Amino acid sequence: MSGLAPGTEAALAPVREELLRRAHAEAAAHLSAADREAEDLLRDAAAKAEGIAAQARRQGEAEGAWAARAVLADARRTAGECELAARREVYEDLRRQVLARVRALRRAPEYPALLDRLVRRARRLLGPEARVTEAPLGGCVAVAGHRRVDQTLDALATRALESLGSEVESLWTP
Amino acid sequence: MTARGEVEYTGVRALHGPLAVVEGVSGVGWDEFVRIALADGGTRHGLVLEVDRDIAVVQVLEGTAGMDPAGLRVVFSGEPLRIPVGAGWLGRVCNGRGEPIDGGPPVFGSRRAPVSGDPVNPVRREPPSEPVLTGVGAVDGLTTLVRGQKLPVFSAAGLPHLELAAQIAAQATAGGEAFSVVFAGMGLTHPDAAFVRGALEERSAAGELVVLLNTADDPVIERVLTPRVALTVAEDLAFSGGRHVLVVMTDMTSYAEALREVSAARGEVPARRAYPGYLYSDLASLYERCGRIRGRPGSVTVLPVLTMPAGDITHPVPDLTGYITEGQIVLSGEAHARGIYPPVDPLASLSRLMRKGAGPGHTRADHLDVAAQLLAAIARAREVRELADLMGHAGLSAADRRYLDLDAAFLERFVDQRPDELRPLEDTLERAWEVLLTLPRGQLAMLPAALLDARLPGSPAPEAAPAEVPADPA
Repeated sequence: MSGLAPGTEAALAPVREELLRRAHAEAAAHLSAADREAEDLLRDAAAKAEGIAAQARRQGEAEGAWAARAVLADARRTAGECELAARREVYEDLRRQVLARVRALRRAPEYPALLDRLVRRARRLLGPEARVTEAPLGGCVAVAGHRRVDQTLDALATRALESLGSEVESLWTP
Repeated sequence: MTARGEVEYTGVRALHGPLAVVEGVSGVGWDEFVRIALADGGTRHGLVLEVDRDIAVVQVLEGTAGMDPAGLRVVFSGEPLRIPVGAGWLGRVCNGRGEPIDGGPPVFGSRRAPVSGDPVNPVRREPPSEPVLTGVGAVDGLTTLVRGQKLPVFSAAGLPHLELAAQIAAQATAGGEAFSVVFAGMGLTHPDAAFVRGALEERSAAGELVVLLNTADDPVIERVLTPRVALTVAEDLAFSGGRHVLVVMTDMTSYAEALREVSAARGEVPARRAYPGYLYSDLASLYERCGRIRGRPGSVTVLPVLTMPAGDITHPVPDLTGYITEGQIVLSGEAHARGIYPPVDPLASLSRLMRKGAGPGHTRADHLDVAAQLLAAIARAREVRELADLMGHAGLSAADRRYLDLDAAFLERFVDQRPDELRPLEDTLERAWEVLLTLPRGQLAMLPAALLDARLPGSPAPEAAPAEVPADPA
């Protein structure tokens, strides 16, 4: 039971109503502000998400492009290495063939004349006192003191191969 | 066939480190190229360092490890090292003396040329002209490289000079004309050598590049040969093949140190910091091989990269290089610390021949004016920054603060670029304009009014502009 004087309740009723109305209005304002804030937040979040997605897309594209470049570079490197290795193989084959053909001269009928020329060349380089011996694989080796001349067929073939010019490239260029 | 190159000497008296002492020789000269046959069938190579009566000292390029002096046969070629020259070098990766390390056959050429080079009659030289565009904004915009020029990069340990050298080697062009690059790496670590191979892979596959790699653990005498081999290859590609050739040589300080070691082994009297007294003429004998020759197509442009020990620009190598070359691109530790790549110091850098290759008829009509105005503005910005350090930003005028903005924009918008980014000159110059227009028109007095009118329609003429305009004229 209220201790208020009679009639007070009635007199306060408008105040109560007004307070209630204000509270409702305030609550409505808060609700609408909260709604607006939520909308803003959602909008911001959506924009941020869009930005992050765009950045991720850009980063993904960049990383993808980088990875593609790396794969391409790897493929190019491997292809280049294969081509060079193939050229080397062709060149080594040429060396083997040249060496075999030059060594075969030892069994040729003109070999004695060739050996004679090689011996004369060796003596001309080292002098008449040079000691000349025939090499097992053909040609000769001359020695005079600390000097030596290698006129073996293998040495001649190697020198000829080393003096080759760009004509060798015709082995692998179309 | 002459006697030289056929007679083998077997009197190897001693092996000391990389040196072989051969006795009983006759008619042998300095710098002769030597072939050494080993008892096991292997072959090594060397250069004659010293001759005294019948004794020759030979520096063995591959070192003397595992060599038995009793089984050695030494052949003196009678001439300095000669290498085959021609287009066969393009696309190849070789060591510092030109032997392939890419798994391919030896390099063949239509003729052989001495690596010491054939001197060019000075009156047959054409002055450098027309640009080599590197795709690096700070270089193309402010220190344009000109065909036939020698323009060094001065750097310090820890700065990305190798990245810059590789980027320029990968990107440089000569306006659509036949262009090739010879990259000579000297004293590189193995990771650096691997980086260079990777960075230049694409250009190498395109057959526009020759790579010579001398690593830090390779013999020093090979390092002395490396730039000579590179220049010999480049000269033939340029003057016989009609190409414009850029020779990137890094690191020339490492080369000079190799020269110092060889000089000490020869027992020569040391000069400044123990470098040989002929360091200047030796460097000149390399740098002066660039240029153009009257009546011949092509050009050789040289971009040596050198590190200044302890950042000392008075060190003999940068000092003597600076006497010979035509400008320099200086890298700055401060810009590098700010994360800027390439960390070029624009005020310390200069291309003395820029006017021969940039501007009307060469690049773009406004190029030289824009570059001059940009450099002037950066110089003023530096002064303002020093002033701000003394009295604080609050004490600066509005115009001074604009200069600080310009400095920041210059580094971030103009200089900074990715190491794999090829920036066209057009883009570089547009960025320069963008940076310049952070200043009010009144501060751009070095630019012709017509250019400013085109860029700033409706803006007041320079004389009507107040000294400090707070409003953004753009």
